[in-house]
Amino acid sequence: MMKLAKRMSLWVVLGAVFFMIIQVISDLYLPTLTADIINNGVAKGDTDYIWQVGFKMLGFSLISIAAATGNVLLASRESQKLGKTLRSDIYKKVSNFSNDEFDQVGTASLITRTTNDVVQIQNVVMMFLRMMIMAPIMLIGASFLAYSKDAQLTKIFIIVLPVLAIFIGLVMVFAVPLFKSIQKKTDKLNLVFREGLTGIRVIRAFNRSNYEADRFKEANQDYTNTAIKVNTIMSFMLPVMTFIMSATNIAIIWNGGHYIADGTLEVGNLISFMTYAMQILMSFMMLSMVFVFVPRGQASAARINEVLDMESKINDPKTPAQLPTTKQGTLDFNHVDFRYQGAENLALKEIDFHAKNGQVVAIIGGTGSGKSSLSNLIPRFYDVESGEIKIDGIDIREMKQHDLRNRVGFVPQKAVLFTGSIRDNLQYGKKDATDEEIWKALEIAQSKDFVSELPDGLDTFVEQGGGNFSGGQKQRLAIARALVKQPDVYVFDDSFSALDFKTDAALRKALKPEIKEAIVVLVAQRISTVVDADIIIVLDEGQVAGIGTHQELKETNVTYQEIISSQLREEEIA
Amino acid sequence: MSETKNNVKTAPKTGKGPGGGGPGARMPAEKAKNFWPTVKRLLKYMSGRSIAILVVFVLAIAATVFQIQSPKVLGEATTKIFEGFATAMKLRMSGVADAPITIDFDAVKTILFTVALLYIGSAIFSFLQQFIMTRVSQRTVFDLRRDLKDKMNKVPMKYYDTHTNGDILSRAVNDMDNIANTLQQSLTQMVTSLVMFFGVLYMMLTISGKLTLVALATVPLSLIVVGIVAPKSQKLFASQQKTLGLLNNQVEETYSGHVVVKAFNREQASIDVFEKENEKLLNVSWKAQFISGLIMPLMNFIKNVGYVFVAVLGGVAVANGTMTIGNVQAFLQYTSQFSQPITQLANLMNTIQSTVASAERVFEVLDEAEMNDEPSNIPAVLNSPSKVSFEHVQFGYGDRGADLLMTDFNLEVKKGQMVAIVGPTGAGKTTLINLLMRFYDVSGGSIKYEGVDTRDMTREELRQHFGMVLQDTWLFNGTIHDNIKYGNETKAGEDHILEAATAAHVDDFVRKLPHGYDTVLNEDASNISQGQRQLLTIARAFLADPDVLILDEATSSVDTRTEILIQKAMRKLLEGRTSFVVAHRLSTIRDADNIIVMNHGSVVETGTHDELMAKNGFYADLYNSQFSEEIAI
Repeated sequence: MMKLAKRMSLWVVLGAVFFMIIQVISDLYLPTLTADIINNGVAKGDTDYIWQVGFKMLGFSLISIAAATGNVLLASRESQKLGKTLRSDIYKKVSNFSNDEFDQVGTASLITRTTNDVVQIQNVVMMFLRMMIMAPIMLIGASFLAYSKDAQLTKIFIIVLPVLAIFIGLVMVFAVPLFKSIQKKTDKLNLVFREGLTGIRVIRAFNRSNYEADRFKEANQDYTNTAIKVNTIMSFMLPVMTFIMSATNIAIIWNGGHYIADGTLEVGNLISFMTYAMQILMSFMMLSMVFVFVPRGQASAARINEVLDMESKINDPKTPAQLPTTKQGTLDFNHVDFRYQGAENLALKEIDFHAKNGQVVAIIGGTGSGKSSLSNLIPRFYDVESGEIKIDGIDIREMKQHDLRNRVGFVPQKAVLFTGSIRDNLQYGKKDATDEEIWKALEIAQSKDFVSELPDGLDTFVEQGGGNFSGGQKQRLAIARALVKQPDVYVFDDSFSALDFKTDAALRKALKPEIKEAIVVLVAQRISTVVDADIIIVLDEGQVAGIGTHQELKETNVTYQEIISSQLREEEIA
Repeated sequence: MSETKNNVKTAPKTGKGPGGGGPGARMPAEKAKNFWPTVKRLLKYMSGRSIAILVVFVLAIAATVFQIQSPKVLGEATTKIFEGFATAMKLRMSGVADAPITIDFDAVKTILFTVALLYIGSAIFSFLQQFIMTRVSQRTVFDLRRDLKDKMNKVPMKYYDTHTNGDILSRAVNDMDNIANTLQQSLTQMVTSLVMFFGVLYMMLTISGKLTLVALATVPLSLIVVGIVAPKSQKLFASQQKTLGLLNNQVEETYSGHVVVKAFNREQASIDVFEKENEKLLNVSWKAQFISGLIMPLMNFIKNVGYVFVAVLGGVAVANGTMTIGNVQAFLQYTSQFSQPITQLANLMNTIQSTVASAERVFEVLDEAEMNDEPSNIPAVLNSPSKVSFEHVQFGYGDRGADLLMTDFNLEVKKGQMVAIVGPTGAGKTTLINLLMRFYDVSGGSIKYEGVDTRDMTREELRQHFGMVLQDTWLFNGTIHDNIKYGNETKAGEDHILEAATAAHVDDFVRKLPHGYDTVLNEDASNISQGQRQLLTIARAFLADPDVLILDEATSSVDTRTEILIQKAMRKLLEGRTSFVVAHRLSTIRDADNIIVMNHGSVVETGTHDELMAKNGFYADLYNSQFSEEIAI
């Protein structure tokens, strides 16, 4: 937490503390002035003096509000600014992360760290600059003043403060685990309800509505019971706190009365002592809040620090290779081994193939065979463990990532579209792409029909996550986006499986004449998708089980035959 | 069903998704459309507990009254002490130099004892009040949640198709939470605040009318703060929340699509956009925090101003002998308690408004039309030769008669026959399943099961005869054993479950799991593979052992070996059953006794493969483009 807080300006923090001290002093001075009114004004019947002190009190109130305004201004500006800086630092950091780091932390977790965790830190800092520095200043100030008003009476706190501390401690001991458990039970309740929504067809088909109702009732009951328990404990809180404070008051008056009788205490001081006592107890309670908020902020801070301390494993070379002016148009995998970070086994082993312009390299294999891993190596989302990948004869690790990715058109397995118009999305790889270029890409990607049928055409707004398009449509738009870019190497990571056979075939047919000057790497599940490829690589558990054309593999390769037979039945193969 | 959902956009009314947090308490209140009727209805929900609520109110009032009394009584103690002190002072001034300060400690003791009793009483009452209210509110929300869940079982399928899960969940989670919190806190707070306000006012009046006027003069000041600053801060908070939402969306989008961002070299561009939004957020957020942070010091200042004037005027009054010192002390305490209920009531207005809006959204769901059972008035055919028949079926998803997708659909399926349903994606193959399972009812004509119109059976009765294996492999968060058992709770002996698991090739892989059948599937069942999930749903169907089977052939990819197992299991499941298969495989349509060809949501052709090919229509076209390639291999 301290590490993150370093991003704040020390002067501003000191300023906030300064204003807070002024505010607390003026607030604390009011009871002293009240005592003054009583001791010197009321007791002596001096009305002029009373008025004089009254104006002084008003003056202090004004100072207090001015100081409070100053404190709030600094606190809110600085806490939000810290939030902004943190968000920006994290975002920039994450933008440079390679897939390794994304895999390590998890995308969802990275999102929460950039959003919720930062908000959490902001809130804690805000709380800190206002409440938390107020509590100790107030506690010290009030204790000091109380002591100076009457030392004997402060003995009361020797009893009261431990009682209060024990009580707060007890409540925490009982309530905190319950708070945690209620969070879990809320999640469970929501989970069961959500399952009821997502599985509604299955539930009704199997006549399980009553069973679902029972399951929900159980979770509901469980949650309700815990909620009642938590709130019952919390119901103790306020009355007991109030009672402790009131008992303190009674004790002060009783003892104070005796001191007055002994002549060691003035009446006005008794009254202001009571006010200080309340302030001491209040700030003590405020201080106990620190124990609730700081750990929460601490957890967020730890998560944020983890991200900020992470270094991307994929970096540009110090002296990047110059790209040749004339393209050779080659892609080479030379004995490539690859392993996911921390994995025991190689994800890819001894991958070796060579392709040149105009060729289609198809990669086929079952789930977990390493197809996607292979395609992710080409744009250098991961680095190889040994061996090398070369484009135009240059190792991709020797190029700038920017240059490399300029030459690669990548279409991921899961189509990702961004909020904005269709045009914005398609211009993603080429900012100045004309409508003509865009329509051409759409035509090849078999999207011309549905896009032109949209009332707003290219200006149609794409909702978050492409929610207003079907899976197949999104995939085709993602393919078109890569086509607009006109790269040297296309990588289709299983991009065709969301399409029906007919569209798949039409797309590949339209693509063929467009890629004479490029290499296509195509990951696929379906035999029909790879049939026409120039090179088919059959992967099985990370290793090349066969390499060749469809005809060759069909006759000689067992794994390939297995794949065929799983997709078609005997008579169809024949 | 995702096909139909795409066209229906229901804007979720609450921006927050489930789990979405944020400082909700400060959000501006959403206005309810029918405020009072909704309040009445919510209160009706609690009416079963009206005695408890009455007790709570009485306790709340009692606790507050006790609490209000105590400063005045405590003040009397101070007065007694001061009197003793003052008498001694007078004596000393009149010459008795060492006149002792004699304080009537017996009287002080009695007073303090009374105060202690008042405090204890107040503490006990307020504890009891909270204790009871917790139970009342939690149980009320328990009922409300149960009713909502029950309702979800009664609404027609159409409701699910026209409302997003996010929208329904937000009502079941966020709105419900909102109601629970308000019932728990706000109701009694409102009562105590009101009692407090008037009680303090009364107590102040009994002490001094003049000072009360001074204290009352601060009320308009408080109202200005509450009425001007607070709404302004709410507005700023709303816009902060909105900007933060936009920013979070961008983070979500670029992080989940980071591969694309990188592949297209757009890192810098996305950072630029982010920085701009981030700057915007800072601009609204610090203002929001500042203005809202000012409210407390401002209220405090107003309180202090009141305090000063009371102290001064009170001091003057004591000096003049028109007031006792204890009363001034009590009055000072009352002054500081006076502004609290005003702020609290102002906050409550907001909370209550947003709660009523929440309650309204929940009631909206509870008021949805339920599935109705109208008998078809179509006589049953005894000993019908067909298992399932469609007779002149008309259907459309719109309201009765509007936008018909099927105008006159006829089909007869004999026992043991297999019907294949084919068509391009989005052709509406699910429509047919919807009708068969009575997820939707026909708009005209009749669907008969063994000669009886399906509308003349209960849905439960009908669905007992049907089994379903869909591509969407829905499994719940429970053990594998329980997930299989789901298929048939009544006959599910352990041996039956094992039998079904074996038949579906589930047994093999389950035995390899460390906890076997007791393995708990996690939330999205990602601890087993997609193919294994598919096998589990097949096992479920085996256990259900239905007469008629509805089967959706998987298009999604699973590894080769599992794929073979799935096909084997499905074939076994089909044996001897009447079946409807959404077909993606050539072999299936070739084997089918009848093929239903669908396009754009309606049935375009029916017949056997040969008949349809001979027709040379849509099917032939589809067949040639989709399946011929497989043959070419």
